[in-house]
Amino acid sequence: MHERLSFHMKRNSVIHRLNPLTKLVLILALILISFTSPWYWTPHFVLLLAIIPLSALGGVFPEFFKTATRLILPAASFLFLMQAFFQPIGEDVIFKFYFLDITQESLMFAFRNAMRVFVMVSAFTLFLLTTHPSELMSDLTRRGLPPQFAYVIISTLQILPQMQAKAQTIIAAQRSRGLDTESTFFKRAGSVVPLVGPLVFGSLVEVEERAIAIEARGFTSKHSKTSLHEIPDPSFDKVIRWVLLALVILSIAANLWLA
Amino acid sequence: MAFVELQNVTYKYPLTKTPALQNINLQINEGEFVAVIGPNGAGKSTLCYALAGFVPHFFKGEISGTIEVAGKESGKSTLDEWVLNVGLAFQNPFNQISGAKYTVFEEIAFGLENIGVPREEMKSRVEDAMALTGIRDLADRSPYSLSGGQQQRVALTSILVMQPKLLVLDEPTSQMDPIGTREVFGTIRKMAEDGMTVVLVEHKMEWIAQFADRVVALKDGSVLLEGKPSEVLTSDLLAENGFGISRYTSTAREAKKRGLWKKENLPVTLDEAVAGFKL
Repeated sequence: MHERLSFHMKRNSVIHRLNPLTKLVLILALILISFTSPWYWTPHFVLLLAIIPLSALGGVFPEFFKTATRLILPAASFLFLMQAFFQPIGEDVIFKFYFLDITQESLMFAFRNAMRVFVMVSAFTLFLLTTHPSELMSDLTRRGLPPQFAYVIISTLQILPQMQAKAQTIIAAQRSRGLDTESTFFKRAGSVVPLVGPLVFGSLVEVEERAIAIEARGFTSKHSKTSLHEIPDPSFDKVIRWVLLALVILSIAANLWLA
Repeated sequence: MAFVELQNVTYKYPLTKTPALQNINLQINEGEFVAVIGPNGAGKSTLCYALAGFVPHFFKGEISGTIEVAGKESGKSTLDEWVLNVGLAFQNPFNQISGAKYTVFEEIAFGLENIGVPREEMKSRVEDAMALTGIRDLADRSPYSLSGGQQQRVALTSILVMQPKLLVLDEPTSQMDPIGTREVFGTIRKMAEDGMTVVLVEHKMEWIAQFADRVVALKDGSVLLEGKPSEVLTSDLLAENGFGISRYTSTAREAKKRGLWKKENLPVTLDEAVAGFKL
C-alpha cells in the first residue's frame, strides 16, 4: 500500500554518484545522437556500447534487463513490424503477405526506427533507475527551476500511489454496500460513477488543505531557498556535460552536412 | 498591548450569508497557553485560520476588525511574512504531509528549506525538534508509511521546527492514543513555559484542565465564555449550549443535585473528582 512511484534503485555506483543533471544530459545526448547521426548503425551501437555497459556500471543491469525485455522489447518489436510492412519504400520485395510487402529498404528503415525508440526508452529507464527523483528536483531547483514545478512533479509521484490506495478503499466500501464490480461490462462501467465522486471531490478538498499546510511552512516565502542535502557537482561532471554537448552538435552538424 | 490582540473581528467566508466569526475580542499574553473549545461549527477552525493569516489572505471573504500578533497587523502583512511568526498545525495529518519529501527528516526540514535556513543549522534544528516530540526513531521512514498519530507528531514537529512565536493548533492529537496525547500536551506546555504563545483547539476537557492557562468557549462565531479552565469548564452554560463536557463534571453536577457533592467547585479531571467525592 505504501509503495512509492519510483524506479530508483539505491546503489552506491559511479553512475549513482554522478550529478543528476549530468545523467540527464547524458541520456538526452545519447538519444539525440541516435536520432540525428547520419551513420545507419549509430542507435545499435549506442545501445550495445553505451546504455547496456552503463547499466552494468550502475549496478542495475538485472532491473534494466527486466524492463527492457518485458516492456520495451515488445513495444519496439511491434513498431518494427508495422514499419516494415507499411513503409512504401524500395523495390526489392523479399516477403509478401497478401497486399503487404516487405522490401529490403523498409526492413532496414524499420530496424533503425525501432532501435531508436528502444534507445530512447531504455535510456530513460537507466536514468530513472539510477537517479532519485528528489535529488534531481533539488538539483534542478538550485539551478533555477521554479520550486513550484519541482513540487508538482515530486508530489504527484508520491501522491498517486496514495490515491490508488484510496480508490481501493472506496471500492471496498462500495462493494460492501452491494456495488456490482464483477458482472457484465456495462454494469461495471456504471459502477465507476460512485467511485469517481468521492475520489475526485475528496481530492479537491485535500488539495486546499495541502495548500494551507505547505503555505504554513513558508512555501511561497521570498527568501532564497536552501537545501538539506548537498548535491555535489564536481568539475569532472561539468567536463562530461560539455563533451556530450559537443558530440550532439557534431552529430547534428554531420546530419545537416550530409543531407 | 497584548501579544495577540483581536479587536471586533467579524468574518464571512465567500458565498456564505452568516459570519463564521462575529465581533471577536481577544487578548493573549506572550507565553500564555489558551485552549479554545466549542461545538461543531462554532468557528474554532476559522479562528485558527484567522490567527495564522489564512483568513482572509488565503480564503478571501469579508473581514472587519483588526488582528495583531507581535505588534504586526495581519491586514497589513502578507501571508508569507505572517507564517514566519505564526505556525499552524491542523487536524488531518495526512494532508499536512507536504508530499515533496521521501523521509520524515526531509519532511521536517521542508519548511526550513523554504525560508532559507543554512544547511548545518537546519540539521541541528530538525534533530532538536524531533527529540522534543519523540519521533527521532522515525527519521528515515517515509511520512506516508506512518500511523495517523505518528503523522500528527510529524505535522506538529514540522511546525515547531520553524520556531514560531505563536503556535496555533487545531486538534493536533485527535488520532493519538492517551499516552501520546499526554506526551504531546506536555511538550506544548513546556514550549509555552519557554515563552511560546499557544492557541489550541481541543475537545478533550480533562487535558485542557491540566495544561491550559485559559479557556475560550466559542458558540456560533462569538465568545460565550472566557476564563480559567476550572471556572469555564465547569460552567452550567457549557452544558446548556451543547458543549462537550468532561464526564467527571457531569457526574459531579448530578451528584450535587442529590447532595452527594459537597465542594463548591465541580471537577474536570479524575483527580479532582476523586478528591471531591472523598469528602
